[in-house]
Amino acid sequence: MKEDLKDILSNLNPEIDQETLLQYLQGKLSAQDQHHLEKQMIDDDFNADALEGLQKFKDKKNILALVDQLNTDLKKRTEKKKRFREKLKLKFDSNLIIAIIIILLLMILSYLIIHKKMQG
Amino acid sequence: MKANRYDHITDDELLNLYTADKNQQWIGILLERYTLLLLGVCMKYLKDETEARDCVQQIFLKVLMEVGKYRIDYFKSWLYMVAKNHCLMRLRDKGTKAPKELSDYHGATTEVDKQELITHEKTYDLLEEALNELNEEQRQSVILFYLKKNSYQEISEKTGFSLMQVKSYIQNGKRNLKLLLQKKINPGSEGK
Repeated sequence: MKEDLKDILSNLNPEIDQETLLQYLQGKLSAQDQHHLEKQMIDDDFNADALEGLQKFKDKKNILALVDQLNTDLKKRTEKKKRFREKLKLKFDSNLIIAIIIILLLMILSYLIIHKKMQG
Repeated sequence: MKANRYDHITDDELLNLYTADKNQQWIGILLERYTLLLLGVCMKYLKDETEARDCVQQIFLKVLMEVGKYRIDYFKSWLYMVAKNHCLMRLRDKGTKAPKELSDYHGATTEVDKQELITHEKTYDLLEEALNELNEEQRQSVILFYLKKNSYQEISEKTGFSLMQVKSYIQNGKRNLKLLLQKKINPGSEGK
């Protein structure tokens, strides 16, 4: 009894994995597992709000497809940024910059030498 | 869902990786962990599946833009705050009144208070006493949930309350129990 009473006071909140949550929403968990998940969710406002919202979906099977779609879009977005950054990196490759500087220096140097010789 | 190859990296570590190289892919991996929860939160406030999906996409964008601007200690609560504010802003833009929060007083008890409650030796006797002072619905729901380990569904079947009522009786009952307990342990600190 005392151990059970302790549950009311403690905020146990190990992270809940998505698969278990989806099974819960589709009514696939045993009563015991349902209770276990509910106890984990109730103390965290984020989890509690999410559970309430997810229960509003008419077809619970759709949820996974929606999540997958959102994740694919997200991946595309973050990868695009990365490719752009890589392109930028390539443009400013340090070897390229050094080569350009050397060529420029050589050009200036040869101009000065030719100029001096012509004057002399 | 398949096990992800980044599962062993904590939220904090992902944030640190992002801070180190500014590669948004880290934030992408981090956000993916919360897509389902975000979808739930948006659905709770907006009550429409298509709007909830759009809202999650906007929250992703907002996070990608703003995550570098702040020092974030605990990503999950920061994300929840961003998501909730975004939903409320959308509701306000639509002219809908934001729903009154049931959990307005959530977090009123501080971590120190909680520790004090848990370690106090008389706590458990007082807790039983306090349990009897709750109103009948809350008392019944709290006992069935925490002591008899019933699920919401089972409690709903036994008591005739709706699932939403069960959840709110448990949440409010628990909150009231904490307040009652604090009053019993420190009778002079009610106005604190």
